Amino acid sequence: MEEILYSLAFTLVKVLVVFLVALGVGAYLTWFERKLAGHIQNRLGPNVVGPFGLLQPLADALKLATKESIIPRGADKPVYYMAVIMALVPSILLLALIPWGPPFRLGDTYVKPIISDVNIALLLAFAFGSLSVYGTIFSGWASNSKYAFIGSLRKAAVVIAYEVVLGFSVLGVVLLAGTLSTVGIVEAQVQRGVWFIVYQPVAFFLYLYCMLAESGRVPFDIQEAEAELVTGYNVEYGGLKFGAFPLAEWYINVIALSAIAVVLFLGGWSGPPILGPLSPYFWFILKTFGLVFFTIWLHWTLPRFQAKDITEIAWKILLPIAILNVIVTAFFVYFF
Amino acid sequence: MEWVIFGFLGTWLILSALGTVFVKNPIHVILFFLSALLAMSAIFLSLGAELLAGIQLIIYAVAIVVFYVLAITTIPWEKIKRFEGVYKNELFVASPILLLLFIFMSYMVLEGEFAKPSGTVEDNVRELGKELFTSYLFPFEVASVILLVAMIGAIVLGRKEE
Repeated sequence: MEEILYSLAFTLVKVLVVFLVALGVGAYLTWFERKLAGHIQNRLGPNVVGPFGLLQPLADALKLATKESIIPRGADKPVYYMAVIMALVPSILLLALIPWGPPFRLGDTYVKPIISDVNIALLLAFAFGSLSVYGTIFSGWASNSKYAFIGSLRKAAVVIAYEVVLGFSVLGVVLLAGTLSTVGIVEAQVQRGVWFIVYQPVAFFLYLYCMLAESGRVPFDIQEAEAELVTGYNVEYGGLKFGAFPLAEWYINVIALSAIAVVLFLGGWSGPPILGPLSPYFWFILKTFGLVFFTIWLHWTLPRFQAKDITEIAWKILLPIAILNVIVTAFFVYFF
Repeated sequence: MEWVIFGFLGTWLILSALGTVFVKNPIHVILFFLSALLAMSAIFLSLGAELLAGIQLIIYAVAIVVFYVLAITTIPWEKIKRFEGVYKNELFVASPILLLLFIFMSYMVLEGEFAKPSGTVEDNVRELGKELFTSYLFPFEVASVILLVAMIGAIVLGRKEE
């Protein structure tokens, strides 16, 4: 009994740390994104609140919190409120599956810097990634607005298409590593001394496409296409409820999916030990941040696709490539 | 500890199943259904059947229910037939059959074949894959062909004549 309580308390601490850090980093990514967008567009970005505009996220949060809460007439209130939760929870749950560093010894206990090391972590990651589509669909439906509803339907079509491609693109890595556990996949790469991006470059590019599509980033952000749909599914939300959607979709989801990409293709925490015992964490966070940076960089550089092009690319081009990749990988794994 | 978790998940599952049957708004029905699927997957997870839990989530809770949701949200419900009372004849015919089935299944779970432990399995993802692709390969392939036929049928029915 004591052991269970002990491990429960320990897990709770890990959950709190990851949760708070993720929310804080998510909030500060808004600052980073606006600063980066400013420099890409030859402006300065936020620079009034605090040094370098560093207090801007806090000011934004205060502003959102003090907004009047407006609910559209004819909205389905329980679903309207629940949609916010349904958007946030899956994105945060994704963070539970990410191994931030190798297991180590602390006194006489064995500590794993991952919240839940299940043997089907990868399956769960895709399940959570696509469960967040319900937040989008129901927020669009419950607001009783045509713009919001069209946006949510588009998002649903995109997620259905890209979820299939995502699953197939990752199968190659699973075949190579022989496990679905995130810790196991990183350890397989550390043992071989080779990152799986070397064996699976095609899969990596497919994964990047799907990551952008699932998190609703440019060039796949048709569900919120400002010019045609105002901002799509979240247009009828106000205040902090409005803030929750981009936080979940654009920031926490992007962080989590980038971290999973690092686990799958970029060797997880492996890297030269330049910081002593802290270097695995340093490398993991550096690689994740690199991918997040790449995502934001694309967001402010590219125009967006048409709605019908996006699903056609997924079903007609990416899916055959992904299946071919799986077949070739299986062939090589079996014969060599 | 186990019983607390099972009690919580079981109550959750039963409540969402009742909600699925008794709530009138179709969107609320599909939400209760989704919640029932999540509860089911949580029960699998608490019983140590991780692969079943994951597949329940990824196939039922995501892939299938998304299509239900798409269909339900786009149908104009004002034009559809309303609730017209309980179907009495059907209730009388169905309830004894359901009761018998329930008694039979309870017996199976409590005393019969299902009650025996099937031995411990170390890595149930690997074991299940092995079983599926050796002992049960033929039914598995037949099921996939049936699904393929259903898919082609749906495409044929759904496309417009030119």
